[in-house]
Amino acid sequence: MTIKRSAAILGLVLATIAGNALAADPIRIGVPVGLSGANSVVAPGVVQASELAVAEINARGGVLGRPLELVVADDGSGAAGAQKAFDSLIFQKKVDVLISMETSAARNAALPIVARGKVPYIYTSFYEGRSCSPYMYVNAWVPEQQVPPIVDYFAGELKAKKYFLIGSDYAFGRGMLAFTKAYIGKTGGSVVGEEYLPMDGTDWTAIISKVKASGADALVTSTAGGAPNVTLTKQLRAAGVNLPYGNLAVDEGTAKGMGGDATGIFISASYVTGIESPANKAFLAAMQAKFGGELKTPNDLTVPQYEAIYAYKAAVEKAGSAKADDVLKALGSVAVDGPRGTIAMSAQHHAPLTMYLGQVQPDGSVKVISSFKDVTPGAQCPDLKS
Amino acid sequence: MLTLALDIATTAAILFIVSAGLLIVFGVMKIINFAHGALITAGAYAALVGMRLGLPAWMAPFLAFMVGGLLGMAIESVVVRRLYRRPLDAILATWGLGIVLGQAVIVGFGREVQFVAAPVAGTIGLGGTDYSLYRLLLVAAALAIGIGFTFVLNGTRLGLSTRAVILNETLAEGLGINAVFVRFLTFGIGSGLGAAAGALITPLASVDPNMGIPWLINAFMLVMVSGSALSTLAVACLVLGGMQVVISTFVSPILGGLAIAVLAAIALRLRPEGFARA
Repeated sequence: MTIKRSAAILGLVLATIAGNALAADPIRIGVPVGLSGANSVVAPGVVQASELAVAEINARGGVLGRPLELVVADDGSGAAGAQKAFDSLIFQKKVDVLISMETSAARNAALPIVARGKVPYIYTSFYEGRSCSPYMYVNAWVPEQQVPPIVDYFAGELKAKKYFLIGSDYAFGRGMLAFTKAYIGKTGGSVVGEEYLPMDGTDWTAIISKVKASGADALVTSTAGGAPNVTLTKQLRAAGVNLPYGNLAVDEGTAKGMGGDATGIFISASYVTGIESPANKAFLAAMQAKFGGELKTPNDLTVPQYEAIYAYKAAVEKAGSAKADDVLKALGSVAVDGPRGTIAMSAQHHAPLTMYLGQVQPDGSVKVISSFKDVTPGAQCPDLKS
Repeated sequence: MLTLALDIATTAAILFIVSAGLLIVFGVMKIINFAHGALITAGAYAALVGMRLGLPAWMAPFLAFMVGGLLGMAIESVVVRRLYRRPLDAILATWGLGIVLGQAVIVGFGREVQFVAAPVAGTIGLGGTDYSLYRLLLVAAALAIGIGFTFVLNGTRLGLSTRAVILNETLAEGLGINAVFVRFLTFGIGSGLGAAAGALITPLASVDPNMGIPWLINAFMLVMVSGSALSTLAVACLVLGGMQVVISTFVSPILGGLAIAVLAAIALRLRPEGFARA
């Protein structure tokens, strides 16, 4: 009798706790991002995209009845800052998942911490490729996806044979151009010049004179974002270089900032604001309504962030719980519809993406010239299952 | 070959424009103004404000000169004046001021890259090649600055007082020259020139809060090897800037970017007085 009663009371208590937990206990999403330092230009946009996704999902009842909660941490845009931010998010704030864009250096520094904490991590920045961890999924592009649209267009439509490559002297710049060079070889073209300047270099004089002397029919550049990209473009234009110009490192916001000098530049991205789809239009309208004058133009770094939160929601719902192991299994198999189309991180933890070739117009907007459906990332992580 | 010669001439002109203000301050005061980079930045943002106010592009360098001049005079009378006998502290103080100015620019304009319209665009045909018209204009600007200041130093009363202060400050003060005022004015003019340089390079540079720093480093090395005369600065710009272009063209742009700093260090090791005659 007493045992029965005790058991009944205990059961009741447990049920109440569990019930309360279901109703109130939020799922915490950690967003380590560079609010200070080099990434501070794009980070506010990443936070805005996260806030919109979380607000939309919570307005429709959350995930498995639990609301989502954002925990944003500043990583200072560097490796040391990222280690602190990831450590604090995983072990102190006890987040259920990490979703963010990071520099490659910061991502590499943080991955061992992610592995120690056994937390799912969705990486939402394009990068140079081949970073593999059982805990990490990537929903942004790698060189295999970004470079071919530009080179195919130059070789096919513009009949370019001779290319000149210019980059900033660092891992991403050299990595992108090494891939570009190999790919140009496959299309039957040749590279007549390949030059680099240090990341803080601002004087492109000698390189530009070489471009003019080389007889190249097309130019592909991969500089560090911001200042080097702007100085190179301005100096090219001042020197009268009007070759077809593919820029692997420019986004719509920067192109707008460059004014007339950016006109005619070709860019390749998985997201441009000009995508003509109902999902993109709804997304842009919702961003405008939520942030108004404070809105940062959505771009190829902020939209994947928005979609990744939906991908996580889908994975939790498919797994039936927010437990890390179950979610990690589900993340590779769920597909979500977002501004960039339907995306699944199904190719060795990377995602086939529809890539857009755009050209900058005189008013700074980007016009989509053609799109390339579901470009595969290739063999990024052959050692990972699924 | 002609392109190479033009590259060298225009690169030297840009270096001269950027370094002249630093040299003038160094010549009179024997201190290096490490806020020079921030003044270059301030000048570029003055050009941006001028454009937003609808002023014609050719006025930007003059507007920048005034903004930089006023900033320089304020800096001199508040901070630098107290540090003439402590040149090492002056380096620290002006470097710190540069950081403060940079942050002020971030607060006012944000971190992002800004766009300033160029007064002229396009190229001009020259002996079979076409070359950037704006870069050629900068050669004219450099000549104007060089000739203008040579005239001020050698042909005016202020110039005479300035040269007296450069040669022997104590004696100059004994003769009734107000050295404090000469320094105040010189610092203002040097700062104004730095800012005007910032406005002049905007069509070729990125306008962002840190844009002045790489220029400051080259200007510093050039001033170190030139001593205190504008003529030796012109020679240093031609020689070291020329080496930068030649190395970038024939060896590697990465090594070219180091040329000025490395060659200046070597020049000072072999010949401590640099390009100055003695």
